[in-house]
Amino acid sequence: MKTANKPAKAPAKAPKAAAKPKVAFFDFASCEGCQLQITNLGETLLDILGAIDVVEFREAISEKWDKDYDVVFIEGSIGDHHAEERLKKIRARAKVLIAYGACACTGGVNGMKNSFKLDEIREHVYGPDYKWFDSTPTKAVHQVVKVDYFINGCPVYAPEILEVVKHALRGLPYTVPDNPVCSECKLNENVCMYERGVACLGPWTKAGCNSWCVNNGNICYGCRGEVSNPSKAAQDVITKYNLKPELIKNKFDMYNKCKENDQKPGKGK
Amino acid sequence: MNQHILKKEELDAFIKKLAKRMKVVAPVAKGYDNFAFAEVTSADEIALKYVPTILPPKKYFMPVREKVLEFSADAKGFTQKPVVEYEETAIFGVHTCDLAGISCLNMVFSERPRDYNYLTRKDHLFIIGLECLSYCDEHASCALVNSHLPNGGYDLFFTDLGDKWIIHVNTQKGEDLVEGMGLPKASAADLAALEQARAAKREVFKNEIGVEAKKLPGIFAKAMKSKVWHGVGERCVSCGNCTNVCPTCYCFDMADSVGLDLRTGARTRTWDSCQFETFAKVAGNENFREERSERQRHRYFRKFSFPLDKFNRFFCTGCGRCTRTCMAKINLKETLKELAAEHN
Ligand code: SF4
Ligand code: SF4
Ligand code: SF4
Ligand code: SF4
Ligand code: SF4
Repeated sequence: MKTANKPAKAPAKAPKAAAKPKVAFFDFASCEGCQLQITNLGETLLDILGAIDVVEFREAISEKWDKDYDVVFIEGSIGDHHAEERLKKIRARAKVLIAYGACACTGGVNGMKNSFKLDEIREHVYGPDYKWFDSTPTKAVHQVVKVDYFINGCPVYAPEILEVVKHALRGLPYTVPDNPVCSECKLNENVCMYERGVACLGPWTKAGCNSWCVNNGNICYGCRGEVSNPSKAAQDVITKYNLKPELIKNKFDMYNKCKENDQKPGKGK
Repeated sequence: MNQHILKKEELDAFIKKLAKRMKVVAPVAKGYDNFAFAEVTSADEIALKYVPTILPPKKYFMPVREKVLEFSADAKGFTQKPVVEYEETAIFGVHTCDLAGISCLNMVFSERPRDYNYLTRKDHLFIIGLECLSYCDEHASCALVNSHLPNGGYDLFFTDLGDKWIIHVNTQKGEDLVEGMGLPKASAADLAALEQARAAKREVFKNEIGVEAKKLPGIFAKAMKSKVWHGVGERCVSCGNCTNVCPTCYCFDMADSVGLDLRTGARTRTWDSCQFETFAKVAGNENFREERSERQRHRYFRKFSFPLDKFNRFFCTGCGRCTRTCMAKINLKETLKELAAEHN
């Protein structure tokens, strides 16, 4: 497999997790839908639970473990100063950190906040007393601390959770596929959404979900984030299928707004 | 070998009898003028008039994902077991362009080191061709490469004679099947009707790009630095669709995956595409075909130049799939015409 061009790549030698590793889950700004995916693992979940030792799961065990963590899963994006500090503290105690889900990996839908002026959006959400409520532009986890593994997707794709867990247990780097979703969609022999007259973000979005949405009759919403070298020439696609360019751009901003943090010099990583 | 006859109203019985002997797959409509080979058990599920399927029948010879090896490592040491999965299958309704594609793959996978997974599976596939007497659509270029006519590579081959099909029997397996089903031999009048159908076809199928096929090697010999690739490269979105749907593309990726016990695992091969950014990237992040234009050029050379030296034939069957599927309107016939115009 080939290496993903994520700003914070899994290092060639990812830190190796211990034999029965101590694992913790923390959430930040998210819908917690990705945690739900863990329960969708079914029997595989029991196997995973046999291989790890969960010391904290969300608020359930509430940060009582006072030693280091072998593996932490971070769900959610970072949207205020308090969250940044909390994340840095967790990172300092974690041997391996996994960004879990679109919000953590790319900022996810929370990134839409960055399409507005911060104070305007604060006022809109919190009302006239908004200054009392801490808020910062949305960041993905790697834009605050170093990330060892990425599990993309909104929600995460269960077979990929398993793959990443196995890589982490073996101390091997995991490579997020950097081909477009079309590559999997074609192998699944779906009728292309464009043939149905609907715009789909598959050509610009990282594969790895086995074209999950298209298999189920939806378009790809771009939840796994943009491929590292997307084609700039969407123009032909747009004209071939008589679409409006803004349409694609707007659809893209739903999940990919935080990418701009990576591109602004001095911001993020 | 012999020619036999199947009346059209008997197709359903034919498919049903065949389905009792083995799995039968045939083109099936998926809506929006898209078709795919899928399992059928009766004739009414089959799209007899169809535009080439999304994926060519190569998916039965070389599955999109295929387990090729199982391994385990424990205190006793390391063991491995090769895996070949196959199923007795009849592929009904294969057009001549796709028969040509299968011939190309047969050559590739018979080369040493032989690909036993492919070759074993091939022995369990029964191929029933179906002739096109008119074009599937405007993207076809099968006459350019002479794959609009049957050229072997099948067990049985059906040609429409109005209220019946005349069936050319090409193998012993095919002979056994039609004899077993008691299909009558074709009469002299049927053979004359076949001749007539072919003569009419010659009037319909003409070189689709107005450039003779024998000029293509010369054109490609001068095309390495052509500007055409830049135009194509600027439009391409690297979706890989053009190669995934191509009946003669065979590149794959291999990956080992280990179970949660961290001791047992399997090796899987999956179709890959030279159009992907990652395809020609090697350790140290060096990429031998970094630009989309280089990758597109490679694809065309892989169809019209390299295989000529190695196998003495084009590896384009003119099926038109790459053009139909391209997200960016990159059109094979147009690209060939542009290249030809540049050097004339
Ligand atoms: S449906 Fe979407 S993902 Fe599938 S081939 Fe079409 S554009 Fe690509
Ligand atoms: S198809 Fe697109 S939106 Fe759906 S899971 Fe995959 S990347 Fe996400
Ligand atoms: S290059 Fe295009 S037209 Fe030629 S065989 Fe491949 S898919 Fe068909
Ligand atoms: S490309 Fe030619 S042989 Fe193939 S389906 Fe079309 S008309 Fe038939
Ligand atoms: S199908 Fe078109 S856009 Fe996709 S890789 Fe091929 S040439 Fe490029």
